[in-house]
Amino acid sequence: MDTQPVMLFRDVVKVYPLPAGDVTALDGVSFQVDRGEFISVMGPSGSGKSTLLNLMGCLDTPTSGDIFISGTRIGDMSDVQLTNLRRDRIGFIFQYFNLFPLLNIIENVTFPLMLKTGKGVDPERGREVLRSVQLDDKLFTHTPTELSGGQQQRVAVARALINDPDILLCDEPTGNLDSKTGAGIMDLMTELNRKGTTIIMVTHDAHIAEYSRRTVRIADGRIVA
Amino acid sequence: MIFWEIAKRNIRLHLLRSTLAMLGIVIGVVAIASMGILGNSLVLSVSDSLHTVGDSVIVSPYTGGGSGFGQGGGAAGSTSLKITDQQFQQIKRVVAPNIAIPVLQTSDIMKLGVGSDTIVAPIYGISPDDLPNLVNLKAGDYSRSDSGCLVGSKFADDHNVKVGSRISIGTDGDLGTLRVTGIIEERGISFDISTDSAIVVTQNWFDTTYNRIDYDTVVVKVNQGVDSAVVKTTIENQMNKRDKVVSVMDSKATLATIFSAFSAVTTFVSAIGGISMIVAGVSIFNIMMMSVTERIKEIGIMRSIGTQKREVMWMFMYEAAILGVVGSVIGGLLSILTGYAVSALLLNSTKYLFVWSSATPIIEGVCFGIVISLACGIYPAWKAANLSPIEAMRHE
Repeated sequence: MDTQPVMLFRDVVKVYPLPAGDVTALDGVSFQVDRGEFISVMGPSGSGKSTLLNLMGCLDTPTSGDIFISGTRIGDMSDVQLTNLRRDRIGFIFQYFNLFPLLNIIENVTFPLMLKTGKGVDPERGREVLRSVQLDDKLFTHTPTELSGGQQQRVAVARALINDPDILLCDEPTGNLDSKTGAGIMDLMTELNRKGTTIIMVTHDAHIAEYSRRTVRIADGRIVA
Repeated sequence: MIFWEIAKRNIRLHLLRSTLAMLGIVIGVVAIASMGILGNSLVLSVSDSLHTVGDSVIVSPYTGGGSGFGQGGGAAGSTSLKITDQQFQQIKRVVAPNIAIPVLQTSDIMKLGVGSDTIVAPIYGISPDDLPNLVNLKAGDYSRSDSGCLVGSKFADDHNVKVGSRISIGTDGDLGTLRVTGIIEERGISFDISTDSAIVVTQNWFDTTYNRIDYDTVVVKVNQGVDSAVVKTTIENQMNKRDKVVSVMDSKATLATIFSAFSAVTTFVSAIGGISMIVAGVSIFNIMMMSVTERIKEIGIMRSIGTQKREVMWMFMYEAAILGVVGSVIGGLLSILTGYAVSALLLNSTKYLFVWSSATPIIEGVCFGIVISLACGIYPAWKAANLSPIEAMRHE
């Protein structure tokens, strides 16, 4: 079994240069995420959660320090390499689902796979993943706007899983759902984690955070617990 | 290709504005192509009208300005400047072995039969030996006798003149009566002599009747393989050594100048059509920018889940390409119809529409439409591709 951390932050600093003066969003953050973990990241507004999420998602690079994704250092990567890393190793789940309205459900789900293979829609693989997130077969050819919020989030989860990523990165995954639907999504997350998927979830909701096995608290750009 | 599919669907989603943008391209292509077709038809039409049997060099007395084009049908007697026989002999000598043909010209009253109206028509005096080198007949024979004459085809049609008809020249026929021996083929507008509405008599009859010994024009028929510009220069060098006594016109060069002028006019009117294409391009640019602005968040999501910049760029370029290609092709097809209509209305002829040179402006218009569309799509596509994924995802 691979014992290498899926994600490793080593003394990461992120500074935003602004006209009014530099703003330090993250100040010497170090932590690691092991394979199969389910972590929630909590913290008040302005604590550096979004910056941390952007760095974990390889959408940004640190000012100093090192970040490793499955042993690969991202600091020196080009935009093309970072994009490929996001496509192949990271699955994103957003608060507002963020499905593509011009594509049907199967096309939405297989979109990252199409990016990876350079081929057209693979409906078989799309159906397989959609069934794994318990979405009704008859919805597969619908467009996102024809689905409920809970159904859309299941599609978003399926899209995040399609390329078998090392990490599932969730940004307030239940923030736009009612509590019952949100609980259904969290049950799905728990089930995915039980099957071995590594999950990092950013949330404000302490109740939702209880689904994770470990909670990282952040305040003023530092990990406090 | 999923990005091609997204581009198509986005156009369908915003069908009205996409159609309006395409309409701009359609109008631009139609404007450019139909102006080009009109210009080309005009050139072909003029080319057909200008009669040139081989290259000619036309020598006329220097009148102080102009080279004498369009003298056919005019009253040569209105000017006292002529080419003397001595000058003609000089010209004949320097242009040999090319043939130099002296031409006499006037206009006079004539009557075509008892009871018919009196008309005025141009009269050319040309030696019977030279006539076959200058005009072709569609009926009858060349006149060798001083009592015979040839008539132009329009003259014959307008006045119902046939071979054997008689024409009385002068008031009450006091200058004599001539028998029509042949009818000259239609020559259209010509640089040397315009015979369509004229009669051609023998030089001898002309000299005797009008008491003229000097010539109005000398037409030099340039042999095949000889550069008419060289002949023109040779004549000028010989005749205008001290003073400018003759004007020399090279029909080939003049024709080239005329076509060049038509070409410039065609280019100019097509350029005016091109302005509408630029406006259409601005419209494409505008809707592409709108498309990018509306989809900033979508672009951010795409980028965050692994879409490369170049793929985002292609997605928008496909949109611009679809608008450009569809608009340009429709415009190209419509320009055949408008070219037909414009040619029919302005030239009263559509026979020049279905020739290869008329297809050129259509192809140019279509290509220009596509290029403009793609060019106007580049910046919006580039802007979309280079959005920061983080900033784009924050966009509301």
